Amino acid sequence: MPDLRMLMGNEAVGLGLVQAGCRVATAYPGTPSSEVLPAVVRFTRELQRPVYSEWSVNERVAAETAIAAAWAGQRAACVMKQVGLNVASDPVMSAAYLGVRAGLVLVVADDPGPHSSQTEQDTRLFGLFAKIPVLDPSSPEEARQMAAAAFALSEERELPVILRLTTRISHGREGIAVQQPPLPRREPPPPSQRLLPHAPKRWAATPRYRHTLHVQLANKLDAIAAANRASPFNARSGPQRAVLGIVAAGHAYAVVRDLLELLGVGGQVALLKIGTPFPLPVQRVERFLECCDTTLILEDCDATIELQLPDRRRVRGRLDGTVPAAGELDPSAIKAVLGPLLSAADIQAHPIETLPTELLHQLPPPPVRPPTLCPGCGHRTAFYAMKRAFPKSTIFTGDIGCYTLGISLGAVDTVLAMGASVGMASGFYRAIHNAGRQDPVVGTIGDSTFLHAGISGLLNAVNVDSRFVLFILDNATTAMTGGQPTAATGVLADGSTGTRVSIRKLVEACGVGFVEQVDAKDVGAIIALARRALEYTRGDGGGPAVIIAQAPCVVATRGVPADEQVRVVVNERCNACGLCVSRFQCPALSIDTERQVAVLNRMLCIDCGDCIQACARKALVDECSLACHGEDKP
Amino acid sequence: MSGTRIVVAGLGGQGVLFTTRLLAEAALSLGHKALSSETHGMAQRGGSVVASLKIGEFSSALVLPGSAHLLLSLDRGEAARNLPFLGAGGHCLTATAQPWSTVLCAQAAQAGVGLHAVDAAGIAMDLGAPVLANIALLGALCALPFSPVPGPALERALRRRSPARLLEGNLAAYGAGQQAAGLMP
Repeated sequence: MPDLRMLMGNEAVGLGLVQAGCRVATAYPGTPSSEVLPAVVRFTRELQRPVYSEWSVNERVAAETAIAAAWAGQRAACVMKQVGLNVASDPVMSAAYLGVRAGLVLVVADDPGPHSSQTEQDTRLFGLFAKIPVLDPSSPEEARQMAAAAFALSEERELPVILRLTTRISHGREGIAVQQPPLPRREPPPPSQRLLPHAPKRWAATPRYRHTLHVQLANKLDAIAAANRASPFNARSGPQRAVLGIVAAGHAYAVVRDLLELLGVGGQVALLKIGTPFPLPVQRVERFLECCDTTLILEDCDATIELQLPDRRRVRGRLDGTVPAAGELDPSAIKAVLGPLLSAADIQAHPIETLPTELLHQLPPPPVRPPTLCPGCGHRTAFYAMKRAFPKSTIFTGDIGCYTLGISLGAVDTVLAMGASVGMASGFYRAIHNAGRQDPVVGTIGDSTFLHAGISGLLNAVNVDSRFVLFILDNATTAMTGGQPTAATGVLADGSTGTRVSIRKLVEACGVGFVEQVDAKDVGAIIALARRALEYTRGDGGGPAVIIAQAPCVVATRGVPADEQVRVVVNERCNACGLCVSRFQCPALSIDTERQVAVLNRMLCIDCGDCIQACARKALVDECSLACHGEDKP
Repeated sequence: MSGTRIVVAGLGGQGVLFTTRLLAEAALSLGHKALSSETHGMAQRGGSVVASLKIGEFSSALVLPGSAHLLLSLDRGEAARNLPFLGAGGHCLTATAQPWSTVLCAQAAQAGVGLHAVDAAGIAMDLGAPVLANIALLGALCALPFSPVPGPALERALRRRSPARLLEGNLAAYGAGQQAAGLMP
């Protein structure tokens, strides 16, 4: 029996890329895709393969790097989450026309639900739009196999291929064999040959040639659609003729397969699995439709397969409202869709009943726990200070990252997209100015997000003289996605040392006239600086002001260093006013309503001492200061 | 029964993912197929953590409410929250210092469901390592008749997964959990 490991889908993809001879792998972190690149690094070492891996500054740069490597004849992969593909779309759309030489695989993870994203966009639809073939795995092991298949397809047809993952595939685990028979390797070109063959009509095609390339692209897709008819990733099961048929793709296929089994109707429903949603082998699906009176189409996140079917008269899916327009196709959602269709088809299903409600009602579940900043997080003190420093009329623009959780602290009014805090601060300033008002505009953005997409917004603001205060919350890591390094960290994807980029110097180089650094944990200093910055934005000769608030991520540092720990105790001055709970919102703080006093949950408290600043009555104090004070008495 | 559907619940930091992984690896070592699903990113910041595990011939790791054979919870409140996952004939084992009332257990039994509790945190605290509550809970589980994997396989998985410096403590918590299960009603 081979040695099986419970690999996460993302790890399986990383393994598949390395096994398939990937030479360059680039990525920008984003849930649910973040674990792919670290797996590439790990299996590069374990299987001793020559793969270069990098965390790029954003998805666009990651895509351009991978495209160039593929043009130079080396298999390349670029990993991102679905909204990252929006950022990378300009070079990716063009690369579909220009094609590739060695294989280029874009690994893009969608997030139906959504669990951790702004949108439920369907990357398979992006494939249709961009004319890039898409593979859609239904399990972690199939995702591993598809990595190799995607490289082969990309090379055979000379165009990029998207390997589309979804949250449940990315973060599902399955027993997978790491040791596999080696795949054939590409021969490197002789040293006399240029790595990029001279072909300006292709690599630098002007619009005149783009038309020809577009025709070629359409022909390639026709050929792939025809070949997809016999793809091993498409498979049929169940009866040959059926009242009800189901076409299912990706994780929805896995869910419905289990569900049909659980309901005891597997023998009566015909099932067609589609692993190649674009270009769809339309004839194969049509042949299936002919064998069923009604066919239900199940696919995350949108109607990519459905839209490619020319005749949908006997098809039920998202387009006719049978399947909800939003949300993940989890077992409950599919059961709700399937139930009425089974009844209509007169197919008897085993009843699945949850426990009686009278029993469940005796056990009131605990309150819903909304996402929250960690105890000891520097974002909390920064937001707390910002809220105190600026008037109620302030518009706070937020951004994508842990600091999105600043919403409940009252210092985040908007969250649009990566880097949008800066561009939107400009826009709000303009609207306020147009209205003849002076309301402050304050943006917050993280270090990684600033480097990703914030810089261009800032230099634009300097150029057109938009007046706002921007806080760059620098925790020296990409925290929300698991602590990947940034360009300002000076650590590379494989753990080696890279050249650090200075955020302060970047801000200065954008032409910002007010740039200050401050300890993100020092509430008083932040308030003083914030007021100065606001004055600057309002003065003649002023402009946008930037405050860089620094405190390392407590998850990355694994808590507070022993010599900096502060044991907070609640003294007799506490009158249970609750302001520390409502305004500071550390999960370790609560009010004991019986004893009328604030209490600290020692299981959650990490002894950061930050909350001392959140009590005006000085009821939260350093235990050591009490003891020392006592000892000092003669 | 063609396989086992399991939901593992708890709070962030209690070791839900590690617990799920040990069960999965134990099943894998016996030649069974195992699929699991877990939560990351923004969804993980919430406090509640739920993982699912299916052992046997399944395609997806996700569990339909009303179909789980086992709900294993590291927190009583999270057990209550996730109880709708249990199907008839299923069992819930939760770590808690406050056992289920006999009335409730009787009502649950009438609905075809077993409710069980073990003070896994207390056991771990007695050993001076509160973080080992999940291991103690697994120890108790494997000593109960509805355990999805036999004790020896689970113990082997624990030994394989434990760094040398933690092995002794893990085995102690596991053993203490097993013993506690013997005293359960």
